[in-house]
Amino acid sequence: MNVFLPIAEVSVNIIGIFSLSGIVGILSGLFGVGGGFLMTPFLIFLGVPPTYAVANEANNILATSVSGSTTHYLKNTLDYKMGLMIVVGGVFGTLLGIWTFTYFKGIGKIDIVISLAYMYILAIIGTAMLVEGLGEIDKARKKIITKKKLHVHYWIHGLPFRMRFSKSKLYESAFTPIIIGLIVGFIAAIMGIGGAFILVPAMIYIIGMPTRLIPGTSLFVTIFVSVIVTFLHAFNYGSIDLILVAMLVLGSIVGVQIGQKFGESIDSTGLKTLLAVLLLLVGIAIAYDTFFADHAVNNVVKIDVNNLNPLSMFIKKLSIEMPILYGLFSILFAIILGVGAAFIRKFFSNLRKKYFKKIA
Amino acid sequence: MPDLLKKLPSEIKNNKLKTGIFLVLSAYWGLILVGTFLNLN
Repeated sequence: MNVFLPIAEVSVNIIGIFSLSGIVGILSGLFGVGGGFLMTPFLIFLGVPPTYAVANEANNILATSVSGSTTHYLKNTLDYKMGLMIVVGGVFGTLLGIWTFTYFKGIGKIDIVISLAYMYILAIIGTAMLVEGLGEIDKARKKIITKKKLHVHYWIHGLPFRMRFSKSKLYESAFTPIIIGLIVGFIAAIMGIGGAFILVPAMIYIIGMPTRLIPGTSLFVTIFVSVIVTFLHAFNYGSIDLILVAMLVLGSIVGVQIGQKFGESIDSTGLKTLLAVLLLLVGIAIAYDTFFADHAVNNVVKIDVNNLNPLSMFIKKLSIEMPILYGLFSILFAIILGVGAAFIRKFFSNLRKKYFKKIA
Repeated sequence: MPDLLKKLPSEIKNNKLKTGIFLVLSAYWGLILVGTFLNLN
């Protein structure tokens, strides 16, 4: 069952998109990663051109990070001050990333740059996770317990303009979160990912934040970064496709909830190794697609706006005639879906507690 | 150094899984690095 995407101008399998976004959502919920670094390559394999895959996945990440962040706001596990400092760097990083994206798009190399960036990021994360996962399995088998240093001091901790972050109980240079935000924003803009896989380790090992505040703060930062990425992609290239975004958001929000439930009851050490293998396999598939596969240019279909169905026609015309309004609408759409999902989850969680109380 | 080389075959035998993974990862990185080099030229 295929559906035509009016902005990306390709037909995609609706069940394929739903199932993949659901599976990636489950993995996100299970391992606490954003999942953008898996979903964007999958979209490319499904026939969505890389430029559109990056932009639409950024919009999807906005919805999932709003949903997750609202849940953490309701639990009061969020450090706004630290988050806003990272966002300051994130804004500059995103602008720099979009500028780089525009440069490579201008010289016609953007697709190869996106593919290469994914290949290397997947190879780095996959290798690191595989080595760590195997090490953990090895230690568990030999029953070795190692004490890790909680906070190692790097040159970044000696920077000036120190300030107090009372919620995280830290006294640290404002430049530390700003520099981290700059790197995350740059990568997010080029690759259409939230950047949690960089942000979370940086928050633990470099900033030294308490673990309970990390997921909420990371998601809070991702909201701002993905808003800028989505808006700039919508405004500059008109590449946000609301039909694709709706499918991605619905699939991933349901998947994340299922993944989080699974995560509460199973040991994820062995699964981490499997995820690492999956990342490396996706990396190999991208490498094959980039280096060896014949690139048939049959995905781009010239369409007549008047032959589309009313919804597609409305989306297409809105994106062409009012790009700012369209960009703002796509952001609002993701935020509403994200907040709605968080409140639905809260409602069901309260209902379950009430029901179990009654039984007890 | 020669001692290390003498021990190497037995070490490899003892850690077949680790050696296998190391070789696969080396091949993987070799492939993407060579591929990138050829593609950019």
